[in-house]
Amino acid sequence: MVAVTTFIIACSKGGGGGTKDPDPTPSGFDKAAMLTNYADALIIPAYTNLQTQAALLETAVNTFLTTPNAANQTALKAAFKDTYLRFEDVSADQFGPAEAALFNNFVNTFPTDSAVIEGNVIRGTYDLTSNASISQQGLPALDYLLFNPHAVADFTGGTAVNRKKYVQDVVANLKAKINTVLTNWKGTYRATFIGNTRSDSGSPIAFLINQFAFEMDQLKGPRVGWPFGKQSAGVTYPNNTEGFNAGISIALATENLTALKGMFNGGGSGKGMSDYLVALNKQQLSTDVMAQFDKAIAALKTIPDPYPTAITNNKTQIEAAYREIQILLTLIKTDVASATGVRITYQDTDGD
Amino acid sequence: MSFRSTVKNLQRPVAIAPLVTFRILFGLMMLAGTIRFWANGWITQQYVAPKFFFTYMGFEWVHPLGSTGMHLVFGLIALATVLIIAGLFYRAAIIVFFIAFTYVELIDVTNYLNHYYFISLVSFLMIWLPANRYFSLDVKLWPKLQRTQVPLWTIGIIRLQVAVVYFFAGLAKINPDWMMHALPMKIWLPAKSHLPLVGGLMYKEWVAYLFSWFGAFYDLFIAFFLINRKTRPIAYVFVLGFHISTAIFFPGIGMFPYVMIVCSFIFFSSGYHQKLLAFFGKDRASGGYNIYHYATWLQPALPVVLGVYFLLQFIVPIRFLAYPGHLFWYEEGYRFSWRVMLMEKSGNTFFTVKEPSTGKAYEIDNRQYLTPLQDKMMSTQPDMLLRYAHYLAQVYAKKGLKNPAVYAQCYVTLNGERSQPFVDETVNLAAQPLSWHHYNWVLPFTNHEK
Repeated sequence: MVAVTTFIIACSKGGGGGTKDPDPTPSGFDKAAMLTNYADALIIPAYTNLQTQAALLETAVNTFLTTPNAANQTALKAAFKDTYLRFEDVSADQFGPAEAALFNNFVNTFPTDSAVIEGNVIRGTYDLTSNASISQQGLPALDYLLFNPHAVADFTGGTAVNRKKYVQDVVANLKAKINTVLTNWKGTYRATFIGNTRSDSGSPIAFLINQFAFEMDQLKGPRVGWPFGKQSAGVTYPNNTEGFNAGISIALATENLTALKGMFNGGGSGKGMSDYLVALNKQQLSTDVMAQFDKAIAALKTIPDPYPTAITNNKTQIEAAYREIQILLTLIKTDVASATGVRITYQDTDGD
Repeated sequence: MSFRSTVKNLQRPVAIAPLVTFRILFGLMMLAGTIRFWANGWITQQYVAPKFFFTYMGFEWVHPLGSTGMHLVFGLIALATVLIIAGLFYRAAIIVFFIAFTYVELIDVTNYLNHYYFISLVSFLMIWLPANRYFSLDVKLWPKLQRTQVPLWTIGIIRLQVAVVYFFAGLAKINPDWMMHALPMKIWLPAKSHLPLVGGLMYKEWVAYLFSWFGAFYDLFIAFFLINRKTRPIAYVFVLGFHISTAIFFPGIGMFPYVMIVCSFIFFSSGYHQKLLAFFGKDRASGGYNIYHYATWLQPALPVVLGVYFLLQFIVPIRFLAYPGHLFWYEEGYRFSWRVMLMEKSGNTFFTVKEPSTGKAYEIDNRQYLTPLQDKMMSTQPDMLLRYAHYLAQVYAKKGLKNPAVYAQCYVTLNGERSQPFVDETVNLAAQPLSWHHYNWVLPFTNHEK
């Protein structure tokens, strides 16, 4: 192999100077360009949009807190939904700065713990920075606090002062988390991300593939399957859906998957994972995965919100969407991961 | 050479030095490996964190010992390696090392690696070798123990063991995917395009073929070139080059390249090792000729025991011939056969537990019971799928289900083939026995593109 290596190095030095290889097999693929596209065209803009939307949410929240009535609540719900949708666009980016900040944990741990939240409100003391508090804050906590059936009354009742303060603290923490992640991305992490074109565990390419698989698992489980009773012999858990009180679960799930599709094909720029697959001679796989994304998204769209009602009334559509999600999950977890040579842990392997 | 004279030749006394350098290098490497394992947090990750462990057939009684216990075991292994290096209480140390190391490896099939198996075998052989009889603290403390010569076969069995590994690793590569399609190299190399200088070449098919063919021929023939005195130095240069390259290209294989580099060193002649030791140590062989003899009662048993041992070394890697179907797909007779980096295989499995009397169905989230690595390994290896299915049946029986039935939807991709169903979805895996027989519930492999 030493001979081989020397030979290869010799060749690459000798034949290098600009002569194009006539070999029709896949020539190089610019992984750095792909990662740059991910950072600059997808991830950073997605966090920026979320940041912008979170500021609008804050305004709407304050309007509602000042005058808690049904009309303001409706306006707030629209801003809340938009913020949640923008979160779904970054949900797959749980690595690097987001992972360090436990972003998804703090922003989207659902179902939220309404009992503890009520306790916090009544006591007026809590620590939203501790890791133990992830189910007392973020978008699911706001969903409960702002849109539960008795929300408007709550903000005029005996706990109103503490409750308003709690909501503002949750919003402030949400904005701070977004800010932390975005600042890190714009700071040092962007270069780290673009500069690492490896495929081993802990590399950006492995992060992306693993996150695609992880998000699909989340979609199949907590977002769609578990509330539907897939894990529990048909015993349903409608309250455990994402965005339960606002009644936007399927809209969120659809956005999540649509964003994931955008991540998979690099926003259609020709510099996405789907294009990397093509460069690896996996044209058919790339096409099939994209088609399966469309099938799963279409199937999700046939389920009407609110999901808790659909769980009783639209079983056939949910089953169908579940099947498509499962097929997509398998394609990503096995075929795509395998084709890109991505490893899932740091441990030694025999390479099988 | 007749059989008799061969046996006689194997008894010929030679300098003990190769055994001594081997003892020291092996100990150093194992110490480094243990420290690395500990520092990476793998003790906790592999032996403390998991809720469920995939045991080996016949070794179901092997269990991990909890966080403190497992760290103590690794501490014990590290201590044993230090004693082995120093040659202090050698026999006890190598026995402890062999038992503790093998115990750890037997806890979970997930962590099976060929080189771990190799380390277990070598440390077992070392129990019977007088590797502490020279250049050791044992000799310092008890000078009477010192021996300068050992029968040739004591060094020969290590060489044979190394040769077995290489040869069978080479034989395993003689298959259509590896030789005719350069798989899985064709899949793995493009993932290495970040490497300096050679990165751009990683997309070229001919490079994948070059790697495949070179690897196969290297494995098949390197031991013969190492045995031959004339070709030995250049062969060892190849050993270094080959394994250092694999370490660079495939860092995921961890210690393996270094294990082979160190172990292949034993092929050098006794004289060479003698000079090496003399360079490091002041104490020369004071007592002149001093040959190590095995106890008389052990003499007749040795050839039988060694014969059986090496017979097994030849039978175990070819036991797959007793099974029908594609070896890489079924993996029946795959382990313990020096099949390293032979295939790209991944899978994904959804389990459903059903109560037959009520029709109630529970889908399983594997993450609830398995680590990501366990999940990945389980999804492509039939015996692990079955063990996990049995475990799920137990878990749900405890939850109150009557005769829980377990079904799996499993898809596996092998060497770039599109993923296809791996397990018969209609078969209740809870009712399927673990056995050495062919598993009929694994669906056959169909080869499409290529």
